[in-house]
Amino acid sequence: MRPENYQAVSHPPSHEYEVFFGPNHPGIEGNYALKVRLHGDEVTAARADGGYLHRGFEKLMEGRLWIQNIALVPRICVPDPVPMEVCYSLAIEALGGLEVPERAQWIRVMQLELSRIAAHLFTFGGNAATTGMYTPMFWGIADRDLILDLFEELSGGRVYHIYNIPGGVRRDLPEGYLKRVSDTLDYIESRLPDYDNLMFTNQVFVRRATGVGIMTQEQALDWGVTGPNLRATGLPFDVRRDDPYLIYDQLEFDVPVEEAGDAWARTLVRRAELKQSLRILRQVVARLPEIDGPIRAPIPNPLAWNLPLGDVYTRVESSKGELAYYVVSNGGDKPWRVHVRGPSAMHAVQVLEHLVTGARIEDVAQIMFSLDACPPEVDR
Amino acid sequence: MTDLRTIPVVAAGEERPSGGQGNLLARVFDELTAFCRSRSLFMLHYCTGCGAVELPPAMTSRFDMERLGIQPMVTPRQADILLVTGYVSTKTLKRIILTYEQMNSPKYVIGICSCTVNGGMYWQSYATAKKLNDYLPVDMYIAGCMPRPEAVISGLRELIANIRAGRSDYWRDYYRRYDHYLGNQQRLFGENWQTPTDVIAEARHYGLFGPETLGEHTALLEQHQTPLQPFEMRLGLKQDKGSSS
Amino acid sequence: MTPTDAPGHDVTTTLDFLLQEVDGLRTRWVAPRRLRVDLPAETLPALLELLKGRAGYVHLSAISCVDWPDDGQFELVYHTWSYELNVLVMAHIRIPRDPGVYLSIYDLYRPAAFFERDIHEMFGLWFEGSPDMGKFILTEWEGPPPMRKEFDGEAWVMEQFGWQEYRPEWLTEIEAKGGGISKRPEQLRGDKGEDGTA
Ligand code: SF4
Repeated sequence: MRPENYQAVSHPPSHEYEVFFGPNHPGIEGNYALKVRLHGDEVTAARADGGYLHRGFEKLMEGRLWIQNIALVPRICVPDPVPMEVCYSLAIEALGGLEVPERAQWIRVMQLELSRIAAHLFTFGGNAATTGMYTPMFWGIADRDLILDLFEELSGGRVYHIYNIPGGVRRDLPEGYLKRVSDTLDYIESRLPDYDNLMFTNQVFVRRATGVGIMTQEQALDWGVTGPNLRATGLPFDVRRDDPYLIYDQLEFDVPVEEAGDAWARTLVRRAELKQSLRILRQVVARLPEIDGPIRAPIPNPLAWNLPLGDVYTRVESSKGELAYYVVSNGGDKPWRVHVRGPSAMHAVQVLEHLVTGARIEDVAQIMFSLDACPPEVDR
Repeated sequence: MTDLRTIPVVAAGEERPSGGQGNLLARVFDELTAFCRSRSLFMLHYCTGCGAVELPPAMTSRFDMERLGIQPMVTPRQADILLVTGYVSTKTLKRIILTYEQMNSPKYVIGICSCTVNGGMYWQSYATAKKLNDYLPVDMYIAGCMPRPEAVISGLRELIANIRAGRSDYWRDYYRRYDHYLGNQQRLFGENWQTPTDVIAEARHYGLFGPETLGEHTALLEQHQTPLQPFEMRLGLKQDKGSSS
Repeated sequence: MTPTDAPGHDVTTTLDFLLQEVDGLRTRWVAPRRLRVDLPAETLPALLELLKGRAGYVHLSAISCVDWPDDGQFELVYHTWSYELNVLVMAHIRIPRDPGVYLSIYDLYRPAAFFERDIHEMFGLWFEGSPDMGKFILTEWEGPPPMRKEFDGEAWVMEQFGWQEYRPEWLTEIEAKGGGISKRPEQLRGDKGEDGTA
């Protein structure tokens, strides 16, 4: 019952204000910021603000030797570093006319797919955490750690491996490595039903994700979106299949698509992709023992290595989308220009601004994580 | 029972009476605070660089930092530790300093990653700051590129031990030598650099005013200091005229 | 590589045939699925329109800018991809370095906004008609556009920053045994001309 003297407080009809969303905000992925204008709890305008992670990679690379840069490139995308190394190495190999031995190619694919699984697990965790479910985050990150252990055994580094170098890979697989890979795959596969129960059939998550941040296929094409975000709108494009590199054309895998184009569809695509990665890895593990041979093409003295004049554009499919390097050599021992096309550069700036507009403030973090924006790729 | 108010609490900033002397109760009280502080550390959730990617593993099930009483915290006002995880670009450094000044003392800064020590592999980069301790008082560096979760945890344990023993009070240094830090900040950000926090007044308030709190740089700050205004934010959208070129 | 040994012979002929409609093109297949086109700057919009309209080139993968100070030119490379033909066309144009102005292709490709803004920040080029050329990454940067070749980042760093002494115990121990770092970082930073940097 309201007291007699109750007077409803009248708010001004328009209630507009602006808030910073990041860089120091738990709902933001990495070090990035969005400035949003709110009307009540509805976002009426948004503006992305990057550059917090800018290191001037492209400038740095121009000042270092071809081979030195291999240590720099994985830093461009922290959660998913392997595609960066591979893409850069592919560019150098194309410029220098190096033929990567087959075994090295298979090992690279194994690394790429392991990294994709790790990145997707990480994203699931973050994505679930934005809806207040922390258990998938704890699990996802702990399971991802098993993959990091595999990387560590192979290369000595948990996160940055610097394992793919121009010409091939740094060293061969240790004994029993494939067994451990396949054990880990078994384990992750056995965990998938748990994730389904916890996250993908959980109404808390499903309802928060369905219909949030909808992007039609037309819009996605218009904005240059690639990767899982594009596939979630129904276009089955995957660089691995449509512009194959390494030995992806010898592997069997599907390109999962979803039609809805919302946060839920994007998450589902990632989940399906994780399964495809497992499938690819199984094939790699089965095939690798048969493939003998060197793991590295001989390269000239890397400290005095002049690559011939030319330019090349290499693309790989990272967990975020189409990753490309444009590398120009002027015949010297250092790159003349390296341009990194981070996949997130598309969906973390314009697309995010668009999708967030009209959404509610509590969904902003969800949209950002469901797009899997990786700020260091934007800032470089 | 003694009235709590009669206990001569050692005010922050005064030298701690060395062991043996001083009021026993005060010492017990101090010990107790130090113990409590060291056992409930809230770490600001701010991923400043690539080292941050090792924090989720350190915090979650596998390495589980929470058993040491360390938890992420989302607002600077309630956080104790500012973890600077990796390279700081100039743009981030400004935010870090604002954040640091907002935090309540006692506060601790940990520089994770080689990049905070000396620029790391980005030493040639025009965009990153090199020595974090030029701009903020750093309690501890954890070097490595990137430090493993174990290294992070062992570093934090050392911090806990330091806090427990009352050795980690670099935050006082920020007040005592504010001129030095401000000078370095001005050098990097330009002379018009100004933060919303009045550090000098805080130093007076905490009794941490030292001979080096003021100096030429703070004089410069006073010259052009504009009173704080309600912050006007512009999205730089088309309809906000003239905000973007 | 000649068009005939590029796989998907029909695609290459389609493209080659289509590209005859624009004057002043030089095309070269650099790899399977990679077609390099060099053209004068004025014809680029026509080429892109043709590609987008008639060959399904809806995806602008990137715009790269390369600085050639010796020629006094900027090279702009437009990488476009067709989801139908699965061929990447790289259109290279060169524009004079001095006014450094070119047309925006935002009305054809929306992603261009990001790349053009980025190139504007990093190289100082101006794109006529781009929706937003405000600063994005380098908001706190007041120097020259850093990616230009004449900007020496390292010299700038040397002037701006100091370095930390780092002598851990283990290093002192090693040095006592006669080992250690043969070249101190200071030396490396100092004499950069001689043997390259770092
Ligand atoms: S030290 Fe290494 S891991 Fe840490 S911020 Fe620097 S580059 Fe990244």
